[in-house]
Order: sequence, then structure tokens, then C-alpha cells
Amino acid sequence: MNTLQKNMCLEVKSASEEAINQDSVLNDVELAHVSLTLSGKHILKNISFALPNRGITSLIGPSGAGKSSLLRCLTLLCDHWQGDISIQGSSIRRWSGGEDHLRRHIGLIAQKPSVFPTSIYENVIFGLSRKERGKDQSICIEASLRMAALWDEVHDRLHTPANNLSIGQQQRLCLARALILKPKVLLLDEPTASLDPRSKQLIEISLHDLAKDMPLLCVTHDLEQAQRLQGQVIFMCDGKIIEKATAKDFFQHPSRIESREFLRWSVCDCG
Amino acid sequence: MKHMGNTPLVYLLIITGCVLAISCISVLLWFLGDASWQFWQAFGLSPLWADEWYPYESLYGLLPAIIGSFWVMIIAMMIAVPCGLSAAIVSSEILPLSWQSWIRMGMEILAGIPSVVYGLIGLWVLLPWLQNIFDLLTGHSLLAAGMILSLMILPTMMVMAQDALRLIPLEQRETAMSLGLNWNQRLCRILLPQAWPGIRSGILLGLGRALGETMAVMLVVGSLDRVPQPIYNILEPAQTLTSRIGREMGEAAFGSMHFSALMACGLVLAATAIFLSLLSQQHRGRLNV
Amino acid sequence: MKMMLILLALPAFILPFSCLIYIIVQAWPALSWALILPTDVTIPPLGDAFSGVASSGLWNQIGGSLLMMFLACLLATPIALSIALFHSLWATVYQKRILLSLLQVLQGIPPIVYGLCGLILLVHYLNWGISLAAGGVILAVVILPLLSMNAIHALERIPIEHTESAKALGLSHGAVIGRVWLPAAWPGMLTGLLLAMARSLSETAPILFTATVFSGITWPDSIFSPVTSLQTHIFYLAQEGSNAQSVHIAWASAVVLLGLILCFSLSAHFLRRYEGSV
Repeated sequence: MNTLQKNMCLEVKSASEEAINQDSVLNDVELAHVSLTLSGKHILKNISFALPNRGITSLIGPSGAGKSSLLRCLTLLCDHWQGDISIQGSSIRRWSGGEDHLRRHIGLIAQKPSVFPTSIYENVIFGLSRKERGKDQSICIEASLRMAALWDEVHDRLHTPANNLSIGQQQRLCLARALILKPKVLLLDEPTASLDPRSKQLIEISLHDLAKDMPLLCVTHDLEQAQRLQGQVIFMCDGKIIEKATAKDFFQHPSRIESREFLRWSVCDCG
Repeated sequence: MKHMGNTPLVYLLIITGCVLAISCISVLLWFLGDASWQFWQAFGLSPLWADEWYPYESLYGLLPAIIGSFWVMIIAMMIAVPCGLSAAIVSSEILPLSWQSWIRMGMEILAGIPSVVYGLIGLWVLLPWLQNIFDLLTGHSLLAAGMILSLMILPTMMVMAQDALRLIPLEQRETAMSLGLNWNQRLCRILLPQAWPGIRSGILLGLGRALGETMAVMLVVGSLDRVPQPIYNILEPAQTLTSRIGREMGEAAFGSMHFSALMACGLVLAATAIFLSLLSQQHRGRLNV
Repeated sequence: MKMMLILLALPAFILPFSCLIYIIVQAWPALSWALILPTDVTIPPLGDAFSGVASSGLWNQIGGSLLMMFLACLLATPIALSIALFHSLWATVYQKRILLSLLQVLQGIPPIVYGLCGLILLVHYLNWGISLAAGGVILAVVILPLLSMNAIHALERIPIEHTESAKALGLSHGAVIGRVWLPAAWPGMLTGLLLAMARSLSETAPILFTATVFSGITWPDSIFSPVTSLQTHIFYLAQEGSNAQSVHIAWASAVVLLGLILCFSLSAHFLRRYEGSV
């Protein structure tokens, strides 16, 4: 890499791949020494990592490793943790607009899709305030449904009840609902665990597209999915981060003995 | 389920019980209609809008009592619905979880207080109070009856609304939270719309109870058979359907026209109550589909 | 918004409890064991015809109320049980819906209407007169919907797997009911029964002119003689009593009645908790 290129990067000052390595640029999401204790049990122990400013990070690990709890801490759905989490340099505890405002900037997709018992249209604009709803939102709705790879299937029946959709469609609806708020970061808690292969594939494709301009943190059980998603892999066990590497390195040459064990057992599970 | 009759004793018990239940209910309702038949036959439907009730002069207008019942229901609902609803929201959404079962127990106990005891409170606490405030002759009024009724309905209403709120799954709340909705928005967009069927049937149940309540109303309403002048004057003594039946049943001779007219009051009461009850069931059928 | 809701909710929390406390404070001077237990001591009349009646102890009234309650439960329980068994054994989906809807309608009918029906049928046509039996039957009809809905819900909560595995073991129908359903459902049914008892103690209007009289009765000779009951006693005292003593006695009767009802509804509450914990 020559100096010219480096200078260009600094000039653009965008969050490019190279810039991640430079300390001067703020990471979008940064966790520092996060610990969580619930009723005497240590769920998270001193977790520190930063998400690159774009791209997918897969969070893998055995059940009970604290992966979902970590996501809940990030959205302040659970707020008994110690340490510090910051988004674009400001701590989420001292977020200027309060925690409700913070959550608008963090998209969270749960494992089980939970749609509200109204129409598809209402579901997509659910998170918008009354002022935003007043304006014409059809372009935004179409854009977010397209990003969630659902537009083609529902564009002709936006006003039918959302409960009639299949589970896979419901999950993509949840994705669209989160995307219309233009989140700064997207957290996904095993988004495809209960879906059919087709929906799984569609969601993975849209995740790849989304990762082009925002950080994604995806908890998953499915190691093959983690491989397909590429990007980074963080391996957690017992509330600690064991290993952090690119997907390629992690699956080909796991450096830690726990990771190797985990991979071996998981492969055995898959048969 | 078929091939179930292999235990004759059980079979016999169940059939007898069911036949007994259904027959006793239909017989009761039939007798009500039968006893008031004399009245309907003599006057047609005109008593429903006649406004004079003097049994000794054969004037049987049901209008004063119907208007009285209507006002009492409205007043009771106007106090009980906002209070009960917000109490349900406060106790299930704001107060800590550990308090809930205690509040609930308290409310269930309060719902069990007999109406005649509320009547005592109305008679000896509420009436003197109203008398002072509004400078009334005795305090007996539609307002007093409505207030006492609202106190009686509150616990029922609150328990129903609380149940409806508790049925909303946690995921829905958390999803709404993760979409960044604030507390007010969550209340208006998730909690109230989804709990509405339960709240609605609580309101209708409360209406039915307000309509049918006798003892407390009888003690405080004043039993004056007159349409309030003007019609929205709720500070006057008046009469409701139930209080009329309760007051005059002892005096009316069995088989007389007066007796039959009181039965007609009962029939109007029963018909309205059945209507309200069917109305509150309507949405449940729709919900199950 | 939150503050507004809390302000609106405050009366709902405070008023009923302050009423409860007020009743007890009012009744305090008149409360004593002599009031409740049977006494031979006749307090000299105070110039009011009612004071003699009012001061002769509440023993008879309590007895009358409890008698009527037991009679009502005795009549209603088997019927409710059989309705519940019909509901879970034979009823088709359609019949189930009709049955539940019917029960709800019955629950919505004001008790005084039942009182009227009972007055025509039992008191006059069957010529039972104003009697304990009439009161018992009417109260039984009043509590029937409550009792059978509770029994139905108790049976519905039994997981279908239990029933099916019992049948798979070749148990006869009676055995399924006796050995699987009843052991699983009795706490729920008993809760319903306790609630129904509390309800039948608090109903006043339907027995006012079918079963009770104010004075002159100590203990019913047969089930066809009139009784006195606590709830109507309070009503008569409230209507007629003007001197301070009968006012106090009315409050005291209210406390006694509340105490009886609380016994039943509290034990129902704790039974429900026990059921939930099992």
C-alpha cells in the first residue's frame, strides 16, 4: 500500500476497510469491559470488542454463552451491566435523546418474528412517529421492503393482515420494519433459526447487501451460515470472548483449543 | 367423542344434571314472561314511553325508571372506566411486578364486598356529603347511586383490564421497545389496541352489573317515580328499574296488575342484560376465528 | 401521560380501601362476642321497636345466611359438575360454544330477576311460601353459572395428553374421570365452590322477598319456614334504623358479613396460588 493511497483514504475519511485499523477513526459500535451478572450468575465477563464500520460480524458459540444477553445489553433492554458501550463515540448510557431514541438507531431482529396484529403496511411504519407518518412514506416503505427482499411478495397486498404471512415472510417483515428507521447498526439474534431454506437464503442475501454500508452483528448457531456470511467471527463461550478472527481464518485455522473443540463437536453434530 | 356410554352411572348423572339445569332456566324465564303477560296484554307496549307511575290509579309508565337506570349506568361508567382503566395500566405497567399479585388480591376481595354494604356507605357517608356540597334536601339522587355503583364496578373493571394487558406477550412489548417507541407510543400502539377486546368486555360486564344492581341503588336513589326535570338533572331523587322492583314487590299482591307491571320491569331488565351480555360475547367469537 | 394516569388511578386504589377501613372504624363500638354469640340477655328496649330486635345478637342471622348458602351449594354443585363433564365429554365444538354463551348470558342476568322468577314459581305456584327452600333454590340458580364455568375451566386445564395416555392404558371412562380428571381438577373446582359460597353470601336482592323476614324468627323449624339472614338484616336496619345503636349494629353486621365472605374468598385465593404452584 503506497502513501498516496493512504492519503486518499484519510482525505475521504470514510469508514473504509483500511481506516478500521487506524485508531483515530471512531468505530461505530464499541464495547469496553462489559460484564453482566443476573441473580448471582455471571452471564458476561469483561467483554470488549469493536464492530467494523461496515460488514458482518458473526457471533457464535454454544447455547448459554451469553450471546443473546449481549444483544439485549446493547439495546438497553437489559441494563444491569457494568462497563461501557458506545455508538459513534457517545456512550449509550448517556445518549442524548434517552433510551427510546437510542433504540431507533439500533435495529434488533429477534429469533422468533413478532409481527403486530395489524396490516403489513401498518407493521412497516410501526416505529415511525406521528410526524413522520404524516408525510408520504410510500417510497421509504418500498425501499425497506425491497431491502428485506419482501417487496415482490407483498406489494399487492400491503393492507392485508400481517399474521397471514408465513414465518419466513414475517421475519423479513421484521427486518423491513427495523430498516425503515434507518438504523446505525443492525443486531440479529439467530434470525434464520426457525425458517425454511428459501427464506434463509433471501435473508442472507439482503444481509450481504445491507452490510455494504452499516455494521451487522449476527448471532448464529449455524456454522455454515457464519461461513457464508463471511466477514468477522467472534467466538464466545461462558460469557467470554475466546477468539476473534475473519471467518476464513477461524474456520480453517482456529487458533484456540476451545474453538477447535467447538468446531469439531459442531461438525459431528451436523453429521 | 363417541363410544362413551360405558359407565351407565356417570352417563345418567350427567344427563339428569344437564336436563335439570336447562329446564330450570327455561322454566324460570318462561314464568317471567307469563306473569307479565297480563300487563302487556292490557297496555301493549305504550307503558315503555309513558311517564306516570301510580299503581293505585292504574298508571304504569316505565319511562322514569328506564331513564333512571340509564343515567345511573352512564354516571357509573363515566367514573369507573377512566379510573379503572388507568388503575389497570398503572398496576400492570408502572408498578413493580411483586406488587401485582397483592393489588390483584385486594381488588378481588373488594369485588366480593356485598352490595348492601356499599349501600350502607352510600346512605350514611355519601348522602350527607352530597347534601352539603350541592345543598340538597336529602342527598338522595341519581348522582349518589351512580357514584356508589362506580365504586362497586371499579374492581371488576380493573381486574378485567389488567388480565387483558397481561395477556399481551412480552415479545410484542420488547419488539416495540427495540423499534424505539417511547412509553406513550407503546401504550397507544401496542397495549391499548391489543387489550381492547378484554377492556371492552369488562366495560360491558360493568354496564350489566350497574344495570342489575339493586340493594345499593335502592338505598340511595330516593325512589321518586318522576322523570328528572330537566332530563339531565341528576341531583334529583329518582327511580331505577331495580329499585322499583325491590321497593314495591313486597306490597304488590300476587296476580294483581301491579304485580304484573313489576314483572314487566323485570322482563325489560332481563332483556337488556341479555342484550349486553351477547354484545360482550360477540367479539370473543370473532377473536377465536 | 404517566402522571395523568397515576392521578386518575389514585382514587381507584385509595377509595375502596378507605371504605373498608371506614366500615371497621364505624363498627368498632358495637363489635363484641356478645353481639355474635347467642345470648339470653335481653337488653331493655330504648323506646324504639327496632332496638330490641337489633340488639338480640346476630347468631340467628348468621345461621340463616349460612344455611341458605349450604343449601344453594348443595343443589348447584352436582348440576355444575355434570354440566362441566358434559362439556368435556360429549359436547361438540358448536355445543360447547352454545353452552358457554348460555352460561355467560345467565351470569349477566341481574339476580333480582331470578328473585322475581323464584317469587312466582316457588313462593306462589308451588306454594312454598317465603321460605328457606325458596331462597336456597334461587341462590343455587344465581351461583350456577359461576360454579359451572369454574368447573369447566378446571377440566379444560388438564392437558389432553394425560387423558389420552390414560385411555391408551385401557382405563374405562369412569376410571378416567375418577383417577385422572378429579385429582387434577379438584383444586380448581374447590376454588370455584369457595367463590360461589362467597357470592351466595353477598347476594341480597333475590332473597329479600322470597326467603327472609326481619324479625320474629329465631331459627327455621323446617326448610319451608322463613329465615333471617345477615345480608337482609343489614338492609332492614339501614332502611328503618334511625337511632345510633341500630346504626352501629348495622355496621357491625356488615363487618361480620365481610368477615365471612373474606374467609371464603381468601381461601379461594390461596387455593389458587397453591394450584398454580403445583
